[in-house]
Amino acid sequence: MLEAVALALERYMDLLAARQKLVASNLANADTPGYRTRDIDFQREFRNLIQGGSPQVIEVAGLPVKNDGNNVSVDREARLLAENALRFNLASNLLRAEIRMVRAAIQEGRQA
Amino acid sequence: MSLFAALSVSASGLAAQRTRAELLAENLANAETTRTPAGGPYRRKDAVFSSEPVSSAFSSVFAAELDGSLAGVRVAEIVEDTREPERRYLPGHPDADAEGYVAFPRINPAEDMVDLMGAVRGYQANVAAVSAVKDMIHRSIELLR
Repeated sequence: MLEAVALALERYMDLLAARQKLVASNLANADTPGYRTRDIDFQREFRNLIQGGSPQVIEVAGLPVKNDGNNVSVDREARLLAENALRFNLASNLLRAEIRMVRAAIQEGRQA
Repeated sequence: MSLFAALSVSASGLAAQRTRAELLAENLANAETTRTPAGGPYRRKDAVFSSEPVSSAFSSVFAAELDGSLAGVRVAEIVEDTREPERRYLPGHPDADAEGYVAFPRINPAEDMVDLMGAVRGYQANVAAVSAVKDMIHRSIELLR
């Protein structure tokens, strides 16, 4: 019962963590000459990960490049940072509810 | 897949931006310094950033993850301004040359102040990343309760 939903949630949280690491890396390199913004294609990777692949890192296209060859947009990264944290928060609450349900089942069974 | 790697990346960003801010503060403080241990006026210093793979205690074990594309930042070198010092005519000055000119550092305080604001913003962005990741780690730990 826990398996199906919990597994998907776990993968989702894994992927969010991977993405958050890339966001942190982009922000740390916001002033590094020649650094290019990195990200993962979230939708595609989520589908892949359900089937058991590992995420692929891509360079983000279409961002304005500054004079020093760096194309990190702090606004974009700040948005992703908040978005990832909120999604992770949601996923962890859902997972906790799942676990609580299983625990309730175990405890109620014990009482009977 | 460890979130702690994200913390080391942000920490490297914090350290690099702090070094940059320190150098800018040094430049501003020494904007009028005509004597240095090396001789001559002070020369403006600037930090050059370069991205490098982060290393953590477990990195060797989990090196394959994300193909090591997680990049931290470090101060690759600190460059000194090589431009000729600014010459000001101050005949009474103890450091004046035979013609009465004194060599002053070529520092534009406005330029350094703007750069300092950039360093502060960069630092803040990294702090925000640290607190977001920390929150995620907390959420994961709470699953155990």
